[in-house]
Amino acid sequence: MKFNLHFLFVIIIASAFFSFSVKADDLVVSVVEPYVDFRTGPASEYPIFHVAEQGESITILKKKTGWYKAITYKGQEGWVSAEQLGKTFKPSGEQLYVPTGSFEDYTNRTFEFSAFGGILESVTAMSVAAAWNVTGNLVVEGTYTQALGDFSENKLWSIRLQHHTFPEWKVSPYLTIGAGGINTRPRSNLVQSGDEIRKSDFYEVGAGLRYYFARNMVVKFEYRHIIALTDRDDQERIEEFKLGFSVFF
Amino acid sequence: MKFSKNVVCNLVIILSVGLFNGHVFAQSSSVKNVARAMQANTQQPPALIDPNIERREIDESDIDTEDVEIGIFAGFISIEDFESSEVVGVSLAYHINENLFLEARYAQATAGQTSFEKLSGGAPFLTEEERDYTYYNLSLGYNINGETFFTDNLVFNSDVYFTLGAGSTEFGGDERFTISAGAGYRLLFTDFWALKVDVRDHVFTSDIIGVEKDVHNFAITLSTTFFF
Repeated sequence: MKFNLHFLFVIIIASAFFSFSVKADDLVVSVVEPYVDFRTGPASEYPIFHVAEQGESITILKKKTGWYKAITYKGQEGWVSAEQLGKTFKPSGEQLYVPTGSFEDYTNRTFEFSAFGGILESVTAMSVAAAWNVTGNLVVEGTYTQALGDFSENKLWSIRLQHHTFPEWKVSPYLTIGAGGINTRPRSNLVQSGDEIRKSDFYEVGAGLRYYFARNMVVKFEYRHIIALTDRDDQERIEEFKLGFSVFF
Repeated sequence: MKFSKNVVCNLVIILSVGLFNGHVFAQSSSVKNVARAMQANTQQPPALIDPNIERREIDESDIDTEDVEIGIFAGFISIEDFESSEVVGVSLAYHINENLFLEARYAQATAGQTSFEKLSGGAPFLTEEERDYTYYNLSLGYNINGETFFTDNLVFNSDVYFTLGAGSTEFGGDERFTISAGAGYRLLFTDFWALKVDVRDHVFTSDIIGVEKDVHNFAITLSTTFFF
């Protein structure tokens, strides 16, 4: 087994150093609502074991999804929800800003990561995409798609521009235009002469619909039309439909 | 020999993980000490004027987020028709909210021989290189949060999770679209160090042994993961 152990060690050590280096000074906030619930774990299912009262100061240690680990002056450590923490005040007297993954947070996103399942010319395809929100309307995206069919393995990548005409709508349409490359390799049982990989460039146009579905999550449906610039006389036209979801930061 | 080498490597990894966590326990207790010191301070009457106070600008962006889970795993995978083998891999997950997470996995194994190859002593189906079995997948997981009580006082947060995903498997000279589904148990020793046991089925269509059929490759793995 030729597994690269160095790679593993690099990952472990990098993760270890990373979690040390992000340790910053602690943020102290004061409770202005009648109380704040402390839970034993970072989810609403965990029991409340303590409440911090109005006027008490609590120190925020870390965040895990929508939950914040806090410690009271008496040393009680627990998890506080983003909703409750968003009503506390910083020493400067300002209200603490806590992202809750709301639709408003989505419209202010910087990065977005998506995963899709779909059909590329009757072959099951899966795609991943990473996008950067340049303005509210323009988004730059890199995508990678893999369609493993019975006769060939197709891999596509592309760089594209999305235009969201109405980004403030919860159900919002968008248009895409882009360029990329496609690699096609016939199945090994069909070809005896070894690897016959075909590579072509392509242009794509498409349209999609996105829907803000739940906290931190967006559902997307997309269609794209690909024109591959092949070596042959004809250009190849490929159509893809896909359904997926995105998370955003 | 090959297997024992893997075992040694895994042990080294687990040991290094353990050492790393020693530091972490020390660190979390220092935070508690700071909190106690703060409490002690409040009991003393504050000085009217303290010129040494520096206003520290700390804001929301300084809060340490631990939504990403990175891990390594090892275990066994049963490759249909080709015996079962050890499997090792890496995983990267992003926790979307307290229940949902997105996980990418990459793993490698080496397939054995079919019983036909062994019994007939004839020509092998696959070359050595084609026996390398690698797969990756992207799954959506759902956590059912809970706590595990070892004794009255020794309690850890834990969860049982289910995953459903898609990806690809490279085996026998081909890459195949693969659906994977499974369940697992995550035990959180600290907020950011967990141990996971995972059972997952990987299904794809294969014609390696002549007839096309859906093959089910079950894997059982033990992982250690870190949140950061």
